[in-house]
Amino acid sequence: MAHRKIVQLAASIAVALCGAAQAQGIAIDTARGVVELPGQPQKIVVLDAAAADTLEALQAPIAGVPSQLYAGHLQDLQDKAAPVGTLFEPDYEAIAMLAPDLIIAGGRSSARVAALAGIAPAIDMTIWGEDHIGQSLARLRSYGRLTGQEARAEDLEAAFTAKLERARAAVAGRGNAMILMTNGPKVSVYGAGSRFGWLHTALDLPEAVASVDAQTHGEAVSFEFIAAADPDWLIIIDRAAAIGQGNQAAAVTLDNALVAGTTAWRRQQVVYLDAASVYVAGGGIQAMTATLEEVLAGFAAGG
Amino acid sequence: MGLLLCLLAGISLFVGASPLHPGALLSDPQALQLLAVSRIPRTAAVLLTGAAMAAAGVIMQLLVRNKFVEPGTTGTNEAAMLGLLAVTLLTPAMPLFGKMLAASASALAGTALFILLARRIPPERPLLIPLAGLVYGGVLMACASFIAIQSDLLQYLGIWMSGEFSGILAGRYELLWLAGGLALLSYFAADQFTIAGLGRAVSLNLGLRYGQVLGFGIVTVSLVSALVIVTVGMLPFVGLVVPNLVSRIMGDNLGASLPVVAGTGAGLLLLCDILGRLLRYPYEIPAGTVFGLFGAAVFLYMLLGRRAHG
Amino acid sequence: MADRRILGLGCLLAAAAALFLFWGLRGPTAYILELRMVKLAGLLSVGAAVGVATVLLQTISRNRILTPAFMGFDALFLLLQTGLVAGLGIAGSSRIPPLAGFLLDAAVMMGAALLLFTSVLRRTRHDIQLMVLTGVVLGLMFRTITAFLQRLMDPSEFSIVQTRMFAQFGSIDREALVMALGLMMLAFCWLWRNHAVLDVAALGRDTARSLGVGHDRLQLKVLCIIAALVSVSTALAGPVAFLGLLVTSLAHSLMRTHRHALLLPAAAQISALILVAGQTVFERILRLQSTLAVVIEFCGGLLFMFLLTRGKIW
Repeated sequence: MAHRKIVQLAASIAVALCGAAQAQGIAIDTARGVVELPGQPQKIVVLDAAAADTLEALQAPIAGVPSQLYAGHLQDLQDKAAPVGTLFEPDYEAIAMLAPDLIIAGGRSSARVAALAGIAPAIDMTIWGEDHIGQSLARLRSYGRLTGQEARAEDLEAAFTAKLERARAAVAGRGNAMILMTNGPKVSVYGAGSRFGWLHTALDLPEAVASVDAQTHGEAVSFEFIAAADPDWLIIIDRAAAIGQGNQAAAVTLDNALVAGTTAWRRQQVVYLDAASVYVAGGGIQAMTATLEEVLAGFAAGG
Repeated sequence: MGLLLCLLAGISLFVGASPLHPGALLSDPQALQLLAVSRIPRTAAVLLTGAAMAAAGVIMQLLVRNKFVEPGTTGTNEAAMLGLLAVTLLTPAMPLFGKMLAASASALAGTALFILLARRIPPERPLLIPLAGLVYGGVLMACASFIAIQSDLLQYLGIWMSGEFSGILAGRYELLWLAGGLALLSYFAADQFTIAGLGRAVSLNLGLRYGQVLGFGIVTVSLVSALVIVTVGMLPFVGLVVPNLVSRIMGDNLGASLPVVAGTGAGLLLLCDILGRLLRYPYEIPAGTVFGLFGAAVFLYMLLGRRAHG
Repeated sequence: MADRRILGLGCLLAAAAALFLFWGLRGPTAYILELRMVKLAGLLSVGAAVGVATVLLQTISRNRILTPAFMGFDALFLLLQTGLVAGLGIAGSSRIPPLAGFLLDAAVMMGAALLLFTSVLRRTRHDIQLMVLTGVVLGLMFRTITAFLQRLMDPSEFSIVQTRMFAQFGSIDREALVMALGLMMLAFCWLWRNHAVLDVAALGRDTARSLGVGHDRLQLKVLCIIAALVSVSTALAGPVAFLGLLVTSLAHSLMRTHRHALLLPAAAQISALILVAGQTVFERILRLQSTLAVVIEFCGGLLFMFLLTRGKIW
């Protein structure tokens, strides 16, 4: 085992040293810095929903994905690719039998990068931190180079940026908003600094309560809090939504006397986001585009 | 203690994320609505929960003769979780009160199954009952975890189970009145519980219908915890710490101590809920968390501090 | 030692281990065999540690429905993992090297346990019930804080925590495994030499003292061994919750004795057997769906209840 690691280490150092000279070496920007890959991988195993989402959009061949990605729009991909364990525990044996030449981990599987590197080069493509959109687009470009689909990646990025502009125009001057996650009888609010904060920052959508801003995590709040903040728009993420259920559980949670008094509810300015797009595969290019479409549709319908 | 409870309840009515001044009640219909929809239900919910859980805890500990057992140890919590998962997956559009009702029914069914199981345990081995309860709960929990992991609902389940009152509104807590009523009912059987707590042999010698009392106790305890768990979540400390605190001071005569236990539970929980609303105003810290921190500190101080002197 | 039941368990365990190693073996055989051997070593050592630690805890507390998990070990581990993810974020927490993570987890748990044991036992004049109660209360407190942190997390952060909420043997760090094995061997050697004293200690403090056993010092030593075994095995694989409870019940029912020379090896073997069998089912039949803990709690729990209703639990 140690032997194999040393060989790999030596190989990667060698690649790094002569990467500039050799044309086929590909430098990829990962969550842990730049990694040099020897060439275009032919067989990729993907252990992250966001990465699978973007790679599918690039029509890249994917050899293996976890058996359950919790996202309806990735069902086709799951049917085609071999199952390699779950998002929580990779099946090392199944991966080894596929003999991939690249393993893409991220999010839940990022802690397994070291162990996965024993099978094939493994990269950590977690999307994390303040610039959610910037990082997601950087991943898209990386995957484009990796799979030789630069043109397609550029098209996807252009389409996404155009949609982002449209969404920004659609929300401009329409008032403030509050991002809520509903969870049975309880709700949490998420601010601009959180995982969902790009909806505020990238769309220039003002926050109904500015002090949530500083937090990267959410806050537990009561319905009184929502009533007192009186947001113009409610953006709802339903934690209870299983695949194919839509927003029924969230609507039930919000259907109460206190929320009914808010501007958002009175004018039916409530936007429900698909859970799979906004957090399961959040950062994937298809998922982010779908979320923008939901925002566009919501703002077109409301008011 | 009654005075203190009234004072706390009064404070609770005027503490919350929406500003509400007592003076506004006379003039402002919105203030009255806030009081009726949110504040009064929340205050009532905390008081009922605190009293019922503490009472359930003391009865449970007496009946199984083990101070470390909390009311949810007969598979009730886990069966409630299974019920919640089922209604969430099968009927997402059902109103919350309906979901709570269905989950309570599932919790009761789970407990009933446990009682059937427990009847097959040889009566001379009462220690096996909590053991069987733990394992039975484990099996149900395994089923719930399996479903929750497969449908990515583990966090959902965790948040529903985190003991707090932030979601309490009129129409979403009324099951707790039932829990409070049960606690009251158990007061009338307090003396029987006290005797049953002396063990089977003594109880039978004293002419107590031990099996019936035990059955009534277990049913009460699991009903209470089922109703509490689906409306506010798990509050293990209330059922564990309060009875231990009171019994150290007052002993195990339930007839005398049950009202004190219930009152202490209600008061402490309300205090924790008020603190939870204020500490990070306007955001909330779950009452269960506040109770966990302060309760543990106070409990450990009383447990260990006194020993150091005596 | 040559007890037939112990030998039988050993044979069963060996068969289960062989089945685990060789069932469905294909593809890059060398790599897969190596992977399975590491997993097997993890399963055996964690199993033995949990089984032995639970028997020891029940012996010195004289309480048959107690496991180290109840005393807050699992709760502390979960709090630590949740706190790391909440504090360092998704990327930061997963970038901790596995060995460093193991050492941190083990050190925090062991430190906390030793602090609890020494301070509380001294204060309460070796009242073990009070110490257990203190552990239970602290564990509940850790759980409520953990629940609060998880309440505030976004689903992506939570999913990172979720990978650490249940024991996993697929990703065990090899260096950590070697360290854990070394420590466990030391503990088992000490226990082997002192099993007779444990039998006396099980009779209670007063009886033990009248029989000339330095009960209080022995108690502290045993508690330290429990802390070491549980901390190291939890840090290695994660919490296994109910395993200890199942194992001690089965060990008592099978052996029907209070002699630790028989109880300890029986518990260790039953525990390892349950883990190996559970992991085999989990990997080969369930294809890693759900978690090992779910498999063990479900199957083990059903077995326990079956035995219970047949009056076979002793």
